[in-house]
Amino acid sequence: MTDMSRRLPAVLVLVLLAFMVLAPMAGLLNLGGLPGYEATDLRFWQSTYLRRVFFFSVWQASLSALLSVLPAILVARAFALQPDLPMRRVLLRLFALPLVVPAVVAVMAVVSVYGSDGWLPFGRSLYGLDGILIAHVFFNLPLAVRLLLPQWQAIPRHHWQLSEQLGMNSWQRWRFLEWPMLREALPGVLLLVFMLCLTSFAVVLTLGGGPRSTTLEVAIYQSLRFDFDPARAVVLALLQLGLCMLVAMATLKLQRLPEVEIADSAPAAPLSALHKAIDIALIVAATIYVGMPLLSVLIDALGGPVLSVLSGASLWRSIVNTLLIGLSAAVLAVSAGWFLLRYSASLAHAGHSRRARLVDLAGSIVYVVPPLVIGTGMFVLLSPHVDVLDWVFPIVISINALMGLPFVIRCLGPAMRQNHARYHHLCLSIALRGWYRFRYLEWPLLRRPLALAIALVTVLAMGDLGVIALFGSPASATLALLIYQQLGAYLIPQATVTAMVLLLLCLGVFALLERLIGGNRDAGY
Amino acid sequence: MLVIERLEFAYDVASAASMRFELEVADGEVLSLIGPSGSGKSTLLNLIAGFLPARSGRILIDEVAIEGFEVAERPVSIVFQQHNLFPHLDLYTNVALGVEPSLRLNGAQVETVREALARLGLEQLQRRKPGELSGGQRQRVALARALVRKRKILLLDEAFAALGPAMRAELIELVKELVCEQGMVGLLVSHQPRDALIASARTAFICDGQVTASATTAELLEQTELPELRNYLGSM
Repeated sequence: MTDMSRRLPAVLVLVLLAFMVLAPMAGLLNLGGLPGYEATDLRFWQSTYLRRVFFFSVWQASLSALLSVLPAILVARAFALQPDLPMRRVLLRLFALPLVVPAVVAVMAVVSVYGSDGWLPFGRSLYGLDGILIAHVFFNLPLAVRLLLPQWQAIPRHHWQLSEQLGMNSWQRWRFLEWPMLREALPGVLLLVFMLCLTSFAVVLTLGGGPRSTTLEVAIYQSLRFDFDPARAVVLALLQLGLCMLVAMATLKLQRLPEVEIADSAPAAPLSALHKAIDIALIVAATIYVGMPLLSVLIDALGGPVLSVLSGASLWRSIVNTLLIGLSAAVLAVSAGWFLLRYSASLAHAGHSRRARLVDLAGSIVYVVPPLVIGTGMFVLLSPHVDVLDWVFPIVISINALMGLPFVIRCLGPAMRQNHARYHHLCLSIALRGWYRFRYLEWPLLRRPLALAIALVTVLAMGDLGVIALFGSPASATLALLIYQQLGAYLIPQATVTAMVLLLLCLGVFALLERLIGGNRDAGY
Repeated sequence: MLVIERLEFAYDVASAASMRFELEVADGEVLSLIGPSGSGKSTLLNLIAGFLPARSGRILIDEVAIEGFEVAERPVSIVFQQHNLFPHLDLYTNVALGVEPSLRLNGAQVETVREALARLGLEQLQRRKPGELSGGQRQRVALARALVRKRKILLLDEAFAALGPAMRAELIELVKELVCEQGMVGLLVSHQPRDALIASARTAFICDGQVTASATTAELLEQTELPELRNYLGSM
């Protein structure tokens, strides 16, 4: 039984989402209405440039997915089989860090370690496929580890005991216990990472972007901002849309992603000293790969022109813009997510699980229609009528909120569904509703996942260098855009200091929001 | 008195097959409902509580039909097997929510909560949280809340299933006392025939969505001519 107070706000959010996605799409499809459009523009479909961009997009995403997920299997297994490893929880928290590190900061970090003047020079230029792969692995290896690790923890303890009783060796345990569990999650994880790399913008923009290493996303941006060729941008956006839809459909078909929740329970399995040493070596190597770039960006920045950057007005203006966009997008995304999840939880509880799933999926529409495609559509739709640069904040905030919505659904969804299933009947029977239900039930039990959702969306929007690059101007620049502008002007030391400011701001805001909204982590119920 | 008249329900709205209940329970009586899993015992409680909408039929409490009432308006309290208490609130607050969800209690209401906690032997524990209690103590708190709500009908949906035999017997005795004291009507769903023997002079056997037998508990448990009941008791 779902009442109107749950259905109406959710339907309003769904209509708004449909408008935000469909209106720009209509703009894209109305190719003939574009300024300066000529029928010959469509010949671009057959150009070598388009084929090269398409091939590079798929190639870099495939390589990035394989290079991230295959080592992640080994590292996740090492973590799973070493439950008593000192600082294991700290290391796993470190592996969550790349999720909140802005892409442009990660690029700076990767360059400062593996660049020609870096701590561990890679030996070849990072500007091209090599750099893009290193940066994508930096982001996605830890994510894949955190997604795969629960698969080991889902293996029942009795199975481990049985394998021990049957005298299975490490290979046999892998074959009969671990691989069957892993096999279920692997296609979903691979496709998710593939999708993230396919739509990766900031990394390719800063480390690629040349004629040989441009992806569809970056090509859309270049067509709009540098070549002033909306028709070409539309063709590229439609191609990207088609590709993303294909991947999203495959992901949906194969997706069996576990919750990214690392439990403390661990398998009991006897291990040889050599096995243990290899596991520890794998964990240490992965930790260095993830941790060192972040450390290096901080150390390099402290040796740079800190005072002159901090005294610049542009930095402070960018900080204000960054916080404004981040916090506004988070409030929008969490509000929309809350109403959707309230409705989907009540649908699921009433036995309409298919409809509940559709409502949740609608909130993740941005996986199918990339933000840059939406941005391009908005650009095309609005540019004949208004100066889009005047609309930068509403556009960037709303698209970032849309990008944050899947995270809200993932963070809050399970807790809200559980709360509803456990307490809805009780609340009905004692007439606990409205404000009192929120105050005595939902706020205390949901404030932690709510805090995580708000903190995540805030820092993701703060660090975004996608939509803001399309619409931003020096006056509306965020820190991420400022770093990109500084890199473009070869002000590398200044960019490093700005990257440090953005990194510290993101980490600080994340910790502050989690603490302020989520309350004391140790207060167990 | 609780009277259930031709109360029909189907999980699948389009389905012709439906559950159909007829029942009468007197004031001060605890009627036990036994039957196989999926037979409709909990469905009947959910229909009385208003969690599920009946297709047709009547639910009369002291001759007032309540099937059109909202859940909170029904003179019904329910105790589930688990998740009866909010884990982040202390016992006092969990019980007080049953009196007034705003928790703005006047002196008399505070006294009511205190008395209920004392009646259930929980006065020393009122500032504890549910996580610090045993399973039996948690169900006592749920009963205390049912007590302060002063509702005519008390539904117990396998409320004591997770407890050991001695604790179950103790709590069932307590329920009998409370129901008798307050002139309530109790309905106890249980999988254990032994619970029915302790709780009820009369027991109903539910199978395939209807009450197929109803008699004194001892007689019902002795009946061997009804094949469904024989199968059910045989599998215990």
